[in-house]
Amino acid sequence: MRGIDYVLKRVGFALVTIFVAVTINFALFRLAPGNAVSNLSRVPHATQQLRHALEVQFGLDKSKGEQYLIYLKQLVHGNLGVSFENEQPVSTNLRIALINTLPMVTLGTLFSILIGTLTGVLAAWRRGTPTEAVTVSSALGFYSMPTHWLGLMLIIIFAGVLPTGGMTNEFLLNPGLWQHLKDLASHIALPSLTLGLVLYGEYTLIVRSAMLETLGEDYILTARAKGLKPWTIVRKHALRNAMLPVTTLVALSLGYIVAGAILIETVFSWPGIGRAVYEAVLERDYPMLQGAFLLLTISVVICNLVADLLYFKLDPRITE
Amino acid sequence: MTALLQVEDLHVWFDLGEGGELHAVQGVDLSLQPGERLGLVGESGCGKTTTALAIMGLLPPSASVAGRILLAGEDILAGGEAAMRPHRWTDVAIVFQGAMNALNPVRTIGDQIVEALELHARAKGAAARARTAELLEAVGIPAARATRHPHELSGGMRQRAAIAMALSCDPKVLIADEPTTALDVMVQAQILELLDSLSRDLRLALVLVTHDLPVVAQVCDRCAVMYAGEIVELGPLDALYHAPAHPYTRMLFAASPDLAALDEPVLSIPGAPPRLDRAIDGCPFGPRCDSVFAACSVRPRLQPVRDGHSAACHLNAMVPA
Amino acid sequence: MTDASLLIEAPTGPTSSRRGLLLRTLRHRPAAVIGAMILVLIGLGAVLAPWIAPYGLHTQVGPVFGHPSWRHPLGLDDGGIDMVTLLMWGARVSLVVGFAATFVSMAIGGTVGVVAGYFGGATDTILMRITDYFLVIPDVPLMIVVAAIWGPSLVHIIIVIGILLWTSTARVIRAQVKSVRERVYVKRARALGAGHTRIVLRHVLPQVGPLLIANTVLTVAVAIFDETALSFLGLGDPSRTSLGKVIENAFERAAISSGAWWAIVPPGAVVALIILGCSLVGGSLEDALNPRLRVAHLAARTFRIRPLVGRGDAL
Repeated sequence: MRGIDYVLKRVGFALVTIFVAVTINFALFRLAPGNAVSNLSRVPHATQQLRHALEVQFGLDKSKGEQYLIYLKQLVHGNLGVSFENEQPVSTNLRIALINTLPMVTLGTLFSILIGTLTGVLAAWRRGTPTEAVTVSSALGFYSMPTHWLGLMLIIIFAGVLPTGGMTNEFLLNPGLWQHLKDLASHIALPSLTLGLVLYGEYTLIVRSAMLETLGEDYILTARAKGLKPWTIVRKHALRNAMLPVTTLVALSLGYIVAGAILIETVFSWPGIGRAVYEAVLERDYPMLQGAFLLLTISVVICNLVADLLYFKLDPRITE
Repeated sequence: MTALLQVEDLHVWFDLGEGGELHAVQGVDLSLQPGERLGLVGESGCGKTTTALAIMGLLPPSASVAGRILLAGEDILAGGEAAMRPHRWTDVAIVFQGAMNALNPVRTIGDQIVEALELHARAKGAAARARTAELLEAVGIPAARATRHPHELSGGMRQRAAIAMALSCDPKVLIADEPTTALDVMVQAQILELLDSLSRDLRLALVLVTHDLPVVAQVCDRCAVMYAGEIVELGPLDALYHAPAHPYTRMLFAASPDLAALDEPVLSIPGAPPRLDRAIDGCPFGPRCDSVFAACSVRPRLQPVRDGHSAACHLNAMVPA
Repeated sequence: MTDASLLIEAPTGPTSSRRGLLLRTLRHRPAAVIGAMILVLIGLGAVLAPWIAPYGLHTQVGPVFGHPSWRHPLGLDDGGIDMVTLLMWGARVSLVVGFAATFVSMAIGGTVGVVAGYFGGATDTILMRITDYFLVIPDVPLMIVVAAIWGPSLVHIIIVIGILLWTSTARVIRAQVKSVRERVYVKRARALGAGHTRIVLRHVLPQVGPLLIANTVLTVAVAIFDETALSFLGLGDPSRTSLGKVIENAFERAAISSGAWWAIVPPGAVVALIILGCSLVGGSLEDALNPRLRVAHLAARTFRIRPLVGRGDAL
């Protein structure tokens, strides 16, 4: 199989990065001076039983080195401790939160890729015209807006038209499937729109840049010489090459997507991982904060890996 | 006999931004008979490539064109890009420099030839693939290579593939823009031989654009020498070599060691071509000419010197007819 | 096989000096000009705040969320303080944090980039591996975690942001340093026995300088965004009012349900403008330094036809 060593290299890199993140996590939380942050068993209102169980599980009375190893072992088993806030296992809380976040973030990202690509192609095609200027300016404008501020602005604009908080309407009792879906759709609209608007600008600029560069390639001149119509050339020869950087860009904007998710979920009270982070900070719920950070980091590393491999597959020119 | 291709008074300008303009082609006239092989030579920046591209209308949006391009008597330039497109590939085809990325790297060469065949309704599907195989064989590429991507082929093979693609729709004129530059000597000779034999076998008119004189000597019957955007001499290749009517032509041939006598020193032409973003006073070659005299302050025009041989130089007016 | 054209001297084109590049870019690219103007305007407002702010920063001049009026064009915040005053002081704090954090990240990133690019080999590999890990690990969550543990204070925030922004600078600078290192005059200096420090200071840095400036400007934008985000999540310094804090206050005190859009829209708009200004200037500089000008062979516009010129015309 072509490039199996490349794949192995990238997977190896991903694993090491996760390991580095895990270690940073441990260092930050457990090596901090004082007990407040590092003591996983200090769950407020917990029973003596629970406290003791946690102390044993995480070896809180042992040396830091041993604690590190125990930490790794517990991680592999999926044990991230117990939330200070609701006394549930952190992993359970996070799982629910992640499931809530994914649709919103996916929708927003897809929206941004779609709008960004369309506007990028348009801007490159209409080079030197007012259309290009307007397209690029809008892209830059939205890109410069702080995510949470844009969310608040959308709330101001759409208050009364679309729901501005939460994932579902709690007052809807026993909704049918269709009603439930409509309810979800109306709630997901503003948060994902916010994410989409904040992200699309970068895609516009990248696609426009890539398209302009592709349109300057010699084989485009050949295609033109062959008598192909301009739009056919764009579609069959330029688009594919111009879209390659999009995969890389998705990987690069993962950090921005995560930041956006945290801010958007806080603004819209969306019960996802982002809001979990916010509440964990508010409540000083250190186990939750630790767990959320780890989960977010691992997700980003994995998505990065996927984007890497995808790009590798799409571009036959990479031969290493 | 109407010429197959006739170019009259061709001018090309390029926008330079901030109001400036580059007058890249300054009044070029050419005519090409069926099956004729014409060389177009000059140093980089003289406008020969721009002229070649203009014939097919392959100029960028920053360009403006004036003149007439007559294909079998019909002016195809007047209607702009839209009017020129139907004639591409079926009447006039082009092969670019070998070093360029002229073939799409992410598609197989077979696909790219099939695209041309299907676009101009010469063949479809399986018939197109069969025809592609024929074309590849005709230029010396094993048909099996049709499934390869351009970067999997050597430079010489890529050029052959480009030639095969150019011939796929039976054009009457083939323009070859520096077809052998950046190829090694052995491969150069093969490509030139290929062009030569194809031109004879298919009665294909050839316009060979190059800065390399020996290339022209191998394939062409007539040659046009360009300098600073205009043709300064035009005539049979022998006449140009043995009895050049323009100092530039003479110095050009003298500067090419293969064609110069082996015991003569290789001469270089001092100085540089004039800038084309401003108007030129007098003869453009004047500053570098070894025979410049008073009359050269007036810009010379292309005048007949002998039968089928013309040059733009005041020296010829001095020779008693 | 000699090429006749090689024997003819090529005409010399205009040489570009790096130092003049900055000013030339600013003058010739409208995007850079607009960006610079925005930044200068906001910068002046921020710097001169203590003297030209209309009211006191802690002076209550009206009711909570007072409406915009002639005396208070942008209304009042949740503490009855004039919004225009808040914006000026807020911009001051935000810009300070932005620049300070950028300085930290530039110092780290620039050093790492120069060392990795200049020395190459194992040093390069190790440094770049570390950089790669940090590039992948998402910034904001890590910043949140560190800020949450360390405690909110202006200095902490500055350091936290600075520590995580250096990665992209390091990569960019390293690439540039590598290409400069291969240049003839550097090799000559080495052959003449010049020490590493001297070479770096006299030959490498001047070439890398403009790119560093472009990167710095773009980093400021990110730093300000990060500060706004951290403040919004409650991790900002409670004793300083940055623009992010202004937004957070408004959010906490339910400005929206009170209909007090003026407490939210202006501060965010100022942040957006600062980021936009930085993006325009930094982006234009990067474009100017990257000679990837290529003529597009294809666009919606096509070449134009002009009337026949004819013979005997003065050309």
